[in-house]
Amino acid sequence: MTRKKVKLAFITNDSARKATFKKRKKGLMKKVSELSTLCGIEACAIIYSPYDTSPEVWPNTMGAQRVLAEFKRMPEMEQSKKMVNQESFIRQRIAKASEQLKKQSKENREKEMTEVMYQGLTGKGLQNLNLGDLNDLGWVIDQNLKEVYKRIEAVKKGASTSSSSSAAAAAAAASQAVAPPMEQKPAVVELGLDPMQRTQTEWFTDWMNSNTSDQHIGYGHADEMILPNFNDNHNANVWPNNFYP
Amino acid sequence: MTTRINKGRQRVDMVKTKNARNLQVTFSKRRAGLLKNDSELCTLCGTEIVIVVFSPSDKGVFSFGHPSVNLLVERFLGRNLPQPNNDVHNQQIVARREGSIRELNNKLMNLEGVFQMEKNRGESLREIRKRANGLWWESPMEELNLFQLQHLKKRLEILKQKVEKEAPMVNNNAFPFQTIGGAWIPSNFAS
Repeated sequence: MTRKKVKLAFITNDSARKATFKKRKKGLMKKVSELSTLCGIEACAIIYSPYDTSPEVWPNTMGAQRVLAEFKRMPEMEQSKKMVNQESFIRQRIAKASEQLKKQSKENREKEMTEVMYQGLTGKGLQNLNLGDLNDLGWVIDQNLKEVYKRIEAVKKGASTSSSSSAAAAAAAASQAVAPPMEQKPAVVELGLDPMQRTQTEWFTDWMNSNTSDQHIGYGHADEMILPNFNDNHNANVWPNNFYP
Repeated sequence: MTTRINKGRQRVDMVKTKNARNLQVTFSKRRAGLLKNDSELCTLCGTEIVIVVFSPSDKGVFSFGHPSVNLLVERFLGRNLPQPNNDVHNQQIVARREGSIRELNNKLMNLEGVFQMEKNRGESLREIRKRANGLWWESPMEELNLFQLQHLKKRLEILKQKVEKEAPMVNNNAFPFQTIGGAWIPSNFAS
């Protein structure tokens, strides 16, 4: 069966329409049958064909009559609760599709703005952003800040209780991660890895060479230097051997 | 390599599903698919059709009917004669209903088209991230140590100040940034 997108419109070509009708009717009957078997439920389907006076029925006339009689015996409210016709059904589908679209758009927007944020962290400018972009960028930054705050708290809390192996792994990961941009994203590495890569980016070399008590860190071509506040660090002076007691 | 979220198409034995939860899931999915097929058949071929499906575990009954469930059920059970379709008023009603269905279908197709575009966009964004030469601050935060985290914090706060400076004329609704996409209105599809 071809997986082409179906155009939801009446097929004007008579022979095409007849062929589609036959195929789909057959498929539909099969699906009803499968549903009934797989789920052990009662069902019936009645299709009035434009090419036949009598309708096609699943499972058969008697079976359908039985099911419909049972259906009609139910209270009116029960019958109509999940009852749909074309209009109401398509409206439901539209509502669902809208929801999906909104969710996907939001996700994409977040991803997009995260990229912008990463660019911004390297010191690139924010000139080409309109008001909507700025708003969303701010939102993404806020989300990341929230997580950073949380992580800082967690690390501080876990510093005394974390096992030496996990702290060592974190430090090892840190040394690997602070290395210059690699081919792949930095990942948590196992212990015993060479702490320093031979190739260094400019800022990293600068940092290493600077006085340990007065840390300056530059990013890319940004002219701003930030002086990290190390007061609340345990042993921040020696890099990268940051083990926490 | 793309990660698979679903297991994909698998062969199923034509016997009643054993696991109760699987049964419910199967029913949900297949029922939805069945109704979708009914709707498409009606649209494509203009057929009149009614389907009645009882839910497992006595959760009620689903029914789909075009033009309406009750009309077709009554007709099938022989309880009323089919309406003569040649009076003008009836034709007008039918024509108007068909018109609105046509509009709804167009709206639906449009939405699905836009959704597909957004899905593709999501894919390419994912690719961009995968291929990016990750700087250390782009790693998951679980992998950063305290020094790096505090560093990142400072950096983010500075960036945030830059952003707030860039939008000085915005009214107070934009700060703090309440919700993403708040200032962005999708213009190319119906609300």
